[in-house]
Amino acid sequence: MLETTRYEISRRVRGTTILTVGVSLYVAFIVWYFSLLDPSAYEQIAESLPPAMLDAFGMQSIGSIEGWLGGQIYTFLWLLGLGIYFAYASAAVIAGDIESDRMDLLLSFPVSRSQLLVEKFAALLLPLIALNVVVGGVTYGLVLAIGETIDPMHLALAHLLSIPYLLVCAAIGTVLSVLADRSAVAERAAIGLIFVLWLVESAVGAAEDFAWIQNLSPTHYYAPTPVLIDGSYELVDTGILVAAFLGLLVASQVLFQRRDI
Amino acid sequence: MSSITVDNLSKRYDDVVAVDSLSFSVERGEIFGFLGPNGAGKTTTIRTLLGLIAPSAGTATVLGADVHDEDALIEAKRRIGYLPANLGFNDEATGAEVLDYHESVKGGSRRDELLEIFTPPVERPIREYSTGNKRMLGIVQAFMHDPELVIMDEPTSGLDPLKQEEFNEFARNERDRGKTLFFSSHVLSEVRRVCDRVGVLREGVLVGLEDVDTLLRQGGKRVHIQTTDEARTDLTEIDGVIDVQTFAEGIQFIYTGEYNTLLRELATHDVREIEISEPPLEDIFMRYYGSDGGVEPNQEVQSDA
Repeated sequence: MLETTRYEISRRVRGTTILTVGVSLYVAFIVWYFSLLDPSAYEQIAESLPPAMLDAFGMQSIGSIEGWLGGQIYTFLWLLGLGIYFAYASAAVIAGDIESDRMDLLLSFPVSRSQLLVEKFAALLLPLIALNVVVGGVTYGLVLAIGETIDPMHLALAHLLSIPYLLVCAAIGTVLSVLADRSAVAERAAIGLIFVLWLVESAVGAAEDFAWIQNLSPTHYYAPTPVLIDGSYELVDTGILVAAFLGLLVASQVLFQRRDI
Repeated sequence: MSSITVDNLSKRYDDVVAVDSLSFSVERGEIFGFLGPNGAGKTTTIRTLLGLIAPSAGTATVLGADVHDEDALIEAKRRIGYLPANLGFNDEATGAEVLDYHESVKGGSRRDELLEIFTPPVERPIREYSTGNKRMLGIVQAFMHDPELVIMDEPTSGLDPLKQEEFNEFARNERDRGKTLFFSSHVLSEVRRVCDRVGVLREGVLVGLEDVDTLLRQGGKRVHIQTTDEARTDLTEIDGVIDVQTFAEGIQFIYTGEYNTLLRELATHDVREIEISEPPLEDIFMRYYGSDGGVEPNQEVQSDA
């Protein structure tokens, strides 16, 4: 058990390090930029923007550090950027091995296909946890460094609640990975799909008749800005994400089980 | 008990039939060569045996496990080694890292011993490997857990002749230790050196199941001679000369008769250049099994294993 996860994790260490450092540097830039701003002026600009746009970028109390981080980092980078990243990374997991003929050898192991899939998926927990822990810590440190304060519990909660969301994105990528024969196809489909889902949720939010469509998007169930501002969130949303994640993972196992390699 | 039984196995892709009602069995402790030109369905059969693809009809068992039964097949895979035709490894990993991974999953009691015979540079990343080195790494992983049955798809492709010979000797030793080896090849000369029996596959149909000696007797030799006009006519009249092709400077034919007769005839003519070689496998199939699959499939022959 978990031999494959161990091996795959060892292969993800380098990429995870680069990604974590990169995201941390971006956070540093955003926090430093906040220290240069005149918050009230920015608040005025935000008020002049259309509500749909404010919604899409999670802009709320943009003049406070919580609102600023929620809009600039958590809604944009975390929700959209990392959502796409995890869907993209997991899209290569199965399709890449099939395309490069590695799957032939892996399936000669005395290991079931569903176990192999879950073990490979589990290796994505390395970047998932590393990013949340390191970037969360870095953000907190930097906020204190520019003389602002943020509730550490709210910050931790924003990270914690992002995990089910990112798992759903990764599971979407895994389903695509199992369906495709080439990793490039699965990867492009994953990027496109997450982006479209995010767009649908942002654009449709304003139109009441079509509001139900936004329920299809995982982005609908994770709203980091309110969590950062006052720690408010819907537990049922998190439950829906966890259920969707498990459902998609089981679906990918079944599809993988049935397909010819 | 047979190590592999294939029973009316078929695999269709849309309108293409890759394997058509294939039946044969591989006995414990023999080296079985699965011979056929490229595209004959060898790889499809092998990948079905490992459960990578599901048969469209019929079935097969490996070490008693039905390929439709995933649990039984997983249990059997502990005692099976597999060397695919196209070896995929993570390019940035070193050979040692890959072997560590394989060892952690399936065991590696013979790893060190194998690395003395087959010598891929295990400390280097696989992206720097030549085809031969990759093949050797593949051979090591296929045998490292000391499996009862090893299934190999074109095992010596990419190996230099010296390593090929070492592999052949290694294969015979494994057979003598009681292991069963099943391997596919499109090279007759390779199969004749190591195999006890061969199954010949053409266009997805098993056209012959022979012991190796029979196949070779039927194979004949390809003779290519540069000589004069009248010699060409004389030569075509010898018994056992078939598939004659003449051209400006000489003649080429397949000779299946007695060597001395041919040599005596040649001695009476002016031979400027001669080349005697093994005919391409495709030619043997065409001649002995005809274009419609000819010989009774699955004819049983005595194995000398």
